[in-house]
Parts: sequence; structure tokens; C-alpha cells
Amino acid sequence: VILVVGLSHRTAPVDVRERLSAGAETLTTVLSRLAARPELSEVMFLSTCNRVEVIAMAPDDGVDAALRAIREELSSHGGLSGEAELSPYLYETRGDQAVLHVFRVAASLDSMVLGEPQILGQVKGAHDAAVAAGALKGKLGRCLTRAFAVAKRVRTETAIGAGNVSIASVAVDLAAHVFADLSDHAVLLLGAGEMAEAAARSLSRGAHALRICNRSFDRAAALAREMHASAVPWDGLESELVQADVVVASTGSQTPVVTRPMVKRVMKARRGRILLFVDIAVPRNVEPAVHDIDNVYVYNVDDLEHEVARGLQARHAERDAAEKIVSAEVAQFLAWSRGLDVQPTLVAMRAKARALLFAELERTLAGRLRHLPEGDRAALHQMLESVLNKWLHAPTTKLRARAADGDAGGELAETVRFLFDLPQMTAAREGERATNGDGGEGEEEDERLPH
Amino acid sequence: VSRWAPWLVALGVPLHAAHIVVSSLVWHVCPVEGIHFAMSVVSMLAALTYVIARSRFRIDVVGAFVAPLALTFLLASRFVGIAGAPKLRSAILPFHVASNLLGVALFTLAFASAVAYLVQERHLKRKDLHGVFERLPPLDALDRAEHRFLVAGFPLLTIGIVTGTLWAHEVEAGGASEIARAAFGYASWGLFGLVLLLRAAAGWRGRRAAYGTIAGFGFTVIVLVLYLVRDATTAAALATAVKP
Repeated sequence: VILVVGLSHRTAPVDVRERLSAGAETLTTVLSRLAARPELSEVMFLSTCNRVEVIAMAPDDGVDAALRAIREELSSHGGLSGEAELSPYLYETRGDQAVLHVFRVAASLDSMVLGEPQILGQVKGAHDAAVAAGALKGKLGRCLTRAFAVAKRVRTETAIGAGNVSIASVAVDLAAHVFADLSDHAVLLLGAGEMAEAAARSLSRGAHALRICNRSFDRAAALAREMHASAVPWDGLESELVQADVVVASTGSQTPVVTRPMVKRVMKARRGRILLFVDIAVPRNVEPAVHDIDNVYVYNVDDLEHEVARGLQARHAERDAAEKIVSAEVAQFLAWSRGLDVQPTLVAMRAKARALLFAELERTLAGRLRHLPEGDRAALHQMLESVLNKWLHAPTTKLRARAADGDAGGELAETVRFLFDLPQMTAAREGERATNGDGGEGEEEDERLPH
Repeated sequence: VSRWAPWLVALGVPLHAAHIVVSSLVWHVCPVEGIHFAMSVVSMLAALTYVIARSRFRIDVVGAFVAPLALTFLLASRFVGIAGAPKLRSAILPFHVASNLLGVALFTLAFASAVAYLVQERHLKRKDLHGVFERLPPLDALDRAEHRFLVAGFPLLTIGIVTGTLWAHEVEAGGASEIARAAFGYASWGLFGLVLLLRAAAGWRGRRAAYGTIAGFGFTVIVLVLYLVRDATTAAALATAVKP
């Protein structure tokens, strides 16, 4: 059964989350410790800034032990004294609910910013790390790869990732609607505060140049080194405005830094070239009247946040459609995975029938039919093979169909094992053997799950 | 729809060109003679230039304006007046018509870009970043496209104006509509020239350049309409003259 134990922005404050999160190096350590636990047959460790989760596979009769093992590893990883300290923040899901959770997380339906695209990459990273550590090899691995496909489907079939939901992305989108190609335009960052940094960073990605102008030149120079930009002195502001095409303003000034008369002069020197101000400072750095000058556009924090709110609203409107896709996919995955549970029974049934038939055949061929030439022997083999297939076709398909519908506790499979006197095995071992062993049949099963 | 539209325009151009060639063969009319044929050629040329310039200037949406304009020109050439009015032949005439046709085609595109620019500019000033705003090309791409179409069309219009003046001297035509046509022709030439001059000298970009372009194009359209009306009236005069 699949288990999820973790905490997220919904259940834990940031100081708890950061204690449990894992970087590239700590990830391998915690992953190998988790993988070494005998209670878990497969395991994966997902760590993002908003969530820390252990996704694992455990035998049906060992769920409680597995959960305990995960909690132990989590609290020792976070350097916590005991489980009690952690338990108020943890959530646990298992079985069908765990599959639903994994699919929803990958599809960004459980993210702080609904539909944000990073989470899928983060889940993929965690998956790859677990695969590299050899901790993901069976049904859980398939659950994850399925989750990626579902996330992609959600993204293409709904508008859950559409619209801009951050100030920076709104600013970039706005600039793209004003300038066809930012690569021949320069971006000027006014003020070296954190606020403008994100917007300037994403804007400057495609820009020809990024300049930073700050009252304290040292601060500007420091930030410029960090962002591969150039720092310019504060007195040169007006001439910088002539050069730049997009200006991101975020100084802490109480009065406007950029005034209407100043921009009037600047526009004359620019010979009317378009100038876009993104003013995310409060109080505003750019006089509102600047917006009325020809070929000058001023967007302040309210304008941008209005767009952000609009984007979020649009995403929330898509939530239902996305949830519908996810639950349909979960049902399909569960049906496939239940089908997997009867696989060992099917294999055993076939093996037993085959062994019986061919033992009898060999005996007859060694005795009364000794005189038969090689060609006739091959024909008899072929005939028995065909009888076997035809005879077992109906029980095989019926058993699979019943399992996919959720054969309660594998009742029918149990009956088959009883009737044919097949070896008894626990459902858990079955699942494991089905995914690890008998390659041919397993692959055939795989094809039934849409990729 | 947006994916197919440009291709439909691209498909229409060769068909239209084929139509022009075939019908000129059938009717034994030189394509550059007579305003009806000329209008048809203008609409074809405008569409052709759009198809060529589309990807270079990132101005897909201009097609939304060009296609209906081309259709209007085409319909005008079909239904207004009757083709085949008597021609005053001259060596200058083909030059006059050909350069004007190409010029008008380019101005049509400049006009379409200017309209799109104004729509986009208005949205930006009103801080309304949705609806049609999302579909239109970036502001500076429209401004640049408009400018380039004007720069390309202006020398052609100049040739058209010069040859027209020379021709008018040759045939000594002096009707009221002739004078009006010449006046509007000069006015559009002057306006386009002014738009280009002010842009180069005083940095008149964007909105002002767009208004200038639209006004200049308006005068060009008036000239074309006057041609249509002339052909219609001469045709009507011919018809009444023939009757008795």
C-alpha cells in the first residue's frame, strides 16, 4: 500500500518546514536511511520550500510499522528530540488517498500558488534521486510516472497554469506587450531593494543590459555584481532614463523620485521612444501624472496586483476541471494497480496447468508414442499450448476485470487459489512479485495503463 | 482560427493574381489600366505584402485589418461603375498606375498597423491588459511596421504624383473631379511626407504618427473613390450617349 507522511504550508510554519527540508547532499543521506528501513519496500523524499514529504510503499500488514519508521526518520533528520515534537504538523494518508495526494501535488493543485509550474520539476527531481538510490523500482515508481503524465494533462487541458500570479511575471508580460524584443532594450533598476530585485531579475533575463541606480552607490555596486549588471551613480538618473526602456522603481523615498517635468525632458531627449515604468514602491516613486505623457506608461503596485488577483481568480475557476481529471486518473491507476494484485495468482494458475499438461505429454511421448517423428511431437506441443491458452482465457480476463473493479480483499483470487490448490501468499508479497518478477506478464500488464 | 487565417490570406493571393491575369487575357484589358482593375490589383498587392511581411515584423494581427480592406477594394472594383471606360493612352500611364498601386498597397498596411497601434496604446493607457490587448502584437513592433511600410510606400507615391502631374499636363484634363483628385493626391503625399519628416526630425512616434498615417490613408482612399466615381459617370454618360 502507498503511504504519504509529510508536512506542508497548510500544516506547518516555515521554521518547522525549513528544519526538515533537505538540500542536494542531505537528500542522499536521508534517502539512503529511509531506503535501508526494512519496513519500506519503496521510498521517495520530496523537499520543496513549501512541503516535505516521504512517499513510500509498505506491505498491507505492515502499515503501522512503516508509518512509525517514517516518523522516526523524519524526526531524526530534523534533529528533533522525539516524534511528539513533530506530530502536530504531520499528515498521513494511505492507499487510494495517498495516490490522490501524490497526483494532486504533482499537478500543483495542493500548491500555495495554485497551478505554479515549479512543483512538477521538484517532484521529478525527487523521483530521479530515489531512482538513482535504487529506492523506487515497482508500483510506487509507476504511480509517480503516472503522476507526471497527469500533471501534464491537467496543464494542457485546463488553464490552471495560465495568467500571471506574481508581480514579476505581470511586469515581464507587460514589457513583452510593449517591446517585441527586449534584447535590444535596457532595463534600469531604481533602488536596490529586495522588492524590485525579483522583477528586475526576470525582466533582465531577456534584456540587452541591466543597470542599477541607487542612492547608495555601494549598495548598487554590490547588487550589480550579484546580478551581472552595471551600477550607475544617483546623479546620473536623468541621463539613465534616456538610455533605459523599462524602469523598475522601488526606492524607499517618501516623495516621487521621477517627476513629470523630468520625464518630459527625458522624452525629448529620447525622441519619443517608448518608456515603461514599473513602480512597485510604496509610496510611489513615479509621479502618476507621468503616465499622461505621450509614449510613457506607468504601472504601479496596485495595477500589477490587480492583474495578479485576476490571474489567481482565473486559476481557481479552473480548479474543478483539474480535480475532475485527477480523480479520473486516480481511478484508472487504482484499477491498474489492483489488476496487478491478481497477477501472481494468474501466473501460478498458468504455471500449474502447464506443468501438468506437459508432464503428461512427455510421459506419453516417452512411452506409447515413442515412434513419433520430431515434426509430430512439435505439433502435439503446439496443440497443448493452444488448449492451455483457450482454456485459461476466460478465467484470466474475468479475474482481471473483477480485480480492476475492486475485488473485495481479493476474494475471487483467493477462491481461484483454493480451487486450483495454488500456494497461498499474502497480498503484499503478491504486489511485490508482480512488479519485480515475471517480466513477460508484467510488461503485458503495463500496456494496459495509458502512458 | 488565428492559425489558419494568415494561410487563407496566403492562399487567396495567388488565386486572386490568377484571376487578374486570366481576366485581363479574356477581356484584353491591361491590368494597370482602368480603376476597377487597379483596385483589384491593390487589394491583391496589399494581401501579398502582408503575407511576406507578417513573420518579419511580428504583425500577424494586421491581417485582420488588411483582409477586410482588400475585400472592400475588390468589391468596390466589382460593383461600382462599369469597367472599360475609354482610356487616354500615354507612355507615362503604366508607370503612374503601377507605382501608385504598390504605394497604396503599402499604405494600406501602414494604415492597418496604425489602427492596431492606437488600439493597443489606448489599452495600455487605460491599464486594461485583457481582451484584444492580449492578441495584438507588441506596441513597438506595430510602430516600427507602420514606419517601414510608410518608408517603402512614400517613394512609390512620389513617383505616382510626379507622373500624374506630367500626364495631366499632357492630356490637359481639367474637370472638377480631376482637380479634386489631384488636390487629395498632393495632400496625402504631403501628409505622409510630414509624418516621416516629423518622426525623423522631432521624434514624432507612436500615437501622433499613427494619426498622421490614418489621415494620409484617408486622403488616398478619397482619391480612389474619385476615380471610381469618374469611371461610373463616364460609363453612364457613354450609356446615355449610345442609347439614341
